[in-house]
Amino acid sequence: MSRGVLQAVGLVRRYGGLTAVDHVDLVAPPGMITGLIGPNGAGKSTLFSLLTGVEQPDEGQVMLGTTDITTMRPDIRSRRGLVQTFQVPSLFPTLTVADNLLVGAENRRRDYAGGLLGLSAQGRGRISRSAERVLERLGLAPKGPVIQIVEEVLDSLGLSDVRDTIAGTLPTGALRLVEFARALCAQPDILLLDEPASGLDAAETAKLSELLRRTAADGVGILIVDHDVDLVFSVVDQVYAMVGGRVVAAGDPETVRNDPTVRSVYLAQAPLAAAGQSGEGR
Amino acid sequence: MTSVDLALAGISLGAIAALSGIGLLVTYRTNGVLNLAQGGIATLVAYVFREMVVEWSLPKWLAAVIALAVVSPGIGLLLERFVFRPLARRRASAAESLVASLGVLVLILGIVAGIWGLGSRSDAPNIFPNSSVRLFGETRIGIDALAELLMVVVFTIIIGLIAARTAFGRQIRAVVDDRQLAELSGVPADRVAAAGWAAGTTMAGLTGVLLAPRFQLTPYGLTLLVLETFAVVVAARLASMPVAVLTALGIAILQSELKQFTLHGDAGQILTVLQSNLFIVALLVLLLAVPKLRELGSGDSGATASFSSRGAPPSGRVSGVRFRQDYLGKLGGFALLLAPLTFAPADLRSAFMVPALGLIFLSMVIVTGYSGQLSLGVAGFAGLGALLSLKLANGNLFGLPAIPGIWSMFLGALLVAPVGLVTGYPAIRRRGLTLALTTFAVGAVVSRFVFEQPTFANGLYLDPLKLFGWELSEKAYYVFELVCLGIGLLVVRNLHHGRLGRALLAVRDDSSGAAAVGVDVRNLKLLAFTVSAAVAGLGGALLVHSSYSFSPDDFAPLQSLLWFTAVVVFGADSAAGAIMAAAFIVTIDVLAPAGSSTLAIGILALALGWMPGGLASAVRGMLRLFAQHLADSFVDPNQRAPRPVPVRISAGGHLPATTGITGASGIPGGGATLGAARAGHYSQWPLGAQRAAPSSDPRLTPFGADLVSVVQQYAASRQRAVIRQPAAHSQEGTR
Repeated sequence: MSRGVLQAVGLVRRYGGLTAVDHVDLVAPPGMITGLIGPNGAGKSTLFSLLTGVEQPDEGQVMLGTTDITTMRPDIRSRRGLVQTFQVPSLFPTLTVADNLLVGAENRRRDYAGGLLGLSAQGRGRISRSAERVLERLGLAPKGPVIQIVEEVLDSLGLSDVRDTIAGTLPTGALRLVEFARALCAQPDILLLDEPASGLDAAETAKLSELLRRTAADGVGILIVDHDVDLVFSVVDQVYAMVGGRVVAAGDPETVRNDPTVRSVYLAQAPLAAAGQSGEGR
Repeated sequence: MTSVDLALAGISLGAIAALSGIGLLVTYRTNGVLNLAQGGIATLVAYVFREMVVEWSLPKWLAAVIALAVVSPGIGLLLERFVFRPLARRRASAAESLVASLGVLVLILGIVAGIWGLGSRSDAPNIFPNSSVRLFGETRIGIDALAELLMVVVFTIIIGLIAARTAFGRQIRAVVDDRQLAELSGVPADRVAAAGWAAGTTMAGLTGVLLAPRFQLTPYGLTLLVLETFAVVVAARLASMPVAVLTALGIAILQSELKQFTLHGDAGQILTVLQSNLFIVALLVLLLAVPKLRELGSGDSGATASFSSRGAPPSGRVSGVRFRQDYLGKLGGFALLLAPLTFAPADLRSAFMVPALGLIFLSMVIVTGYSGQLSLGVAGFAGLGALLSLKLANGNLFGLPAIPGIWSMFLGALLVAPVGLVTGYPAIRRRGLTLALTTFAVGAVVSRFVFEQPTFANGLYLDPLKLFGWELSEKAYYVFELVCLGIGLLVVRNLHHGRLGRALLAVRDDSSGAAAVGVDVRNLKLLAFTVSAAVAGLGGALLVHSSYSFSPDDFAPLQSLLWFTAVVVFGADSAAGAIMAAAFIVTIDVLAPAGSSTLAIGILALALGWMPGGLASAVRGMLRLFAQHLADSFVDPNQRAPRPVPVRISAGGHLPATTGITGASGIPGGGATLGAARAGHYSQWPLGAQRAAPSSDPRLTPFGADLVSVVQQYAASRQRAVIRQPAAHSQEGTR
């Protein structure tokens, strides 16, 4: 499967005199989970915004596969397979969970004209079979596969019970899960997760890491930015550690954990040695 | 080439604009509310002042003291206590505050028009003696200009000192940052907010009293003048008072200097308009140029989801019964719309306005209700549609041949679409306050530079409409209008359903989240604006034919504000609400004296604090509660299906915290459950798209059982068809 590799090449982002991201190179290959750690102010979030397209770098490039996506808007990146989730789950609170997922599943196409003329997928139920076949020929009736994806994701994430619940009424843990599900429905090549474990309890975090492994096994590349070092070290295949806008260590979790710079930064914060187990407490 | 005399003449107006700007900034920096009602308050105080001096013959100084030291701050205190404090308490979004201030504006306009009428008065008294002092040589400056300038300087310094040097200034910043937190740290937040409001409205009153004698005193005219001074606070990026003052003086002096030039031809005409409308042009230019206003709080004022609480129509598994009921409601509404055909000719002519206004309101449902953009310039689009269609029909648009009336309407509406597209462009990057002001400025500029210009708007005549050679009778015209309304409804329906509808709602609910999963936020916003402009244009064209003439007043910028408020009141995301709003306004205007509909909309707007989704959402909620109540009295509560727990977490802070009328999942409060509704007979009720669990025969309450047996006896006695059991019925309903 020729999925795209996400690659940052010499990214620089300055705010006035402060260089928040300083010549960062990063590779997130498909089928692997990549972690990005670092203390507050290390430039993780800025790097993340550069990758998602919320901000533009002053120097450097962002590549997805062989395409340069440096200047593309977030929605275009998403349609090309680079899908993100947010620190604060950003669902559509007035839509049902299923509709939230449908929005994710439906928007790899951009043509909205069909909908304006009433040729929406919704209307399909009311037109005859033969007209339906014509529409399918014209590529205007994608309902079948789309709804299938949504149902599959709902099932596999155990969300079928809240299928028709209005998203704004769900508790935080469920919101995260739904947001993750919505991102999956967009059929990403690379998933960018911004602190996916914040606000989750231990059980939910364990469930999340299991979910991440399953997703990666399906060939999706995942990049996690998180404070929760335990979670990161328990699931990732490779880690990047940032301090002061630079990548100070990169490689497999064991190497990074034993890196002297990383140790000195994290010594005061968390005993890294125990990290491997505690993430899977349950 | 500058003229000192002209510059000095401009100073007075500049100083008044500066005072208005100071007032706006004080209210904004202390409460986080951009007070759109500023103009209304100024007008009200000006009328009160005139009443006291002219009608009651009070001495001027006494009248001034009462108007400025009692009435003006009193209005501010009342507004704070009864309108904005409740909103702040429940952390209402900036969009809600904006709408509340619009409601206040509309209410005040209604009051003023109700008491003093819509006519203009030119006898507004001047506070300052009409004399001048010599500066140097032959150059003189008016006492009023000097006094006003002095006031501006004094107020700027005093407010600056308070903000920077006193504990009160710190308290203000704390309250604006986080009111609840400030209160927890012992800051008397209510008092701080009230002081801010009182100061702001006093400035507004002062603005009104000073402006009135320089222009004619009319409710709408004076209000609009004050609204134009918003240019000043935009230049100040909602923050810097000195910048606001300097901008005010600068624009006024420039406008005054323009008076020395005369040009001929089209340029001359533009110059003439500029000479009295520089503020509104400055407002638009500044809004397009200033990249970002320094909005307080999270700047979430684009989150109109708070007053359009309904999500998408259920996407799957909707019972056939629900559709039948939906159609029943629609048929009923359609029948009501046909009723005017039986009216007397005069009443029928009044009814012409309903479909026309309805279309204009539908255009706002598209932009505000479905895609979440605050748009305050709809009157501009409607007016353009009217004007273009008339010109097409008269055959004097760009040398095009005359087009028969009916087709000219559709073509005119289509020609407005590109204007909507262009207006939509600023909306891509702007949201909330900035977008609201930008669209307002567009409407105002179009009104001043097009609708009020003789070149464009004079010499238009309305031919009787013809369709394939048949002249339309009045009844036929009304039917034609209904057809147009139907087309509008179809467009709205298509925008609300299916993939497109979901994508639009996603943009409304959370645009960054939508972009994250590939929704083309940019093009969808443009699409909404474009379609909405065309629909508004068609409405405008119909409106002109309903009133038999093109009058710039029908499409004045303030109309947009009134219309917008009406749409929000009746439910910004409800197409039926839009049509009801139109019928409501027209009915009241026919039955009651002028200004009554404005007053009514204003009162309803202030009630929005208690029903965030507008009337439409309140009605929806009541229907659900009623259904629940019925279900509860029929079905044994112990038989209920497990209750979906309504945990109301406000995702992204958008959902209103007060009512839970948000959709299918649950209704907070009350012991009743939807489970009960689903388990029994009422699973047919349009409650949700959930698969009803195959319900065994529900055990009925004694009351329910009695009722069923009575019905059965009745049926048996009539020897009629067999009454089906409720449970069987419900099974059939769900697919």
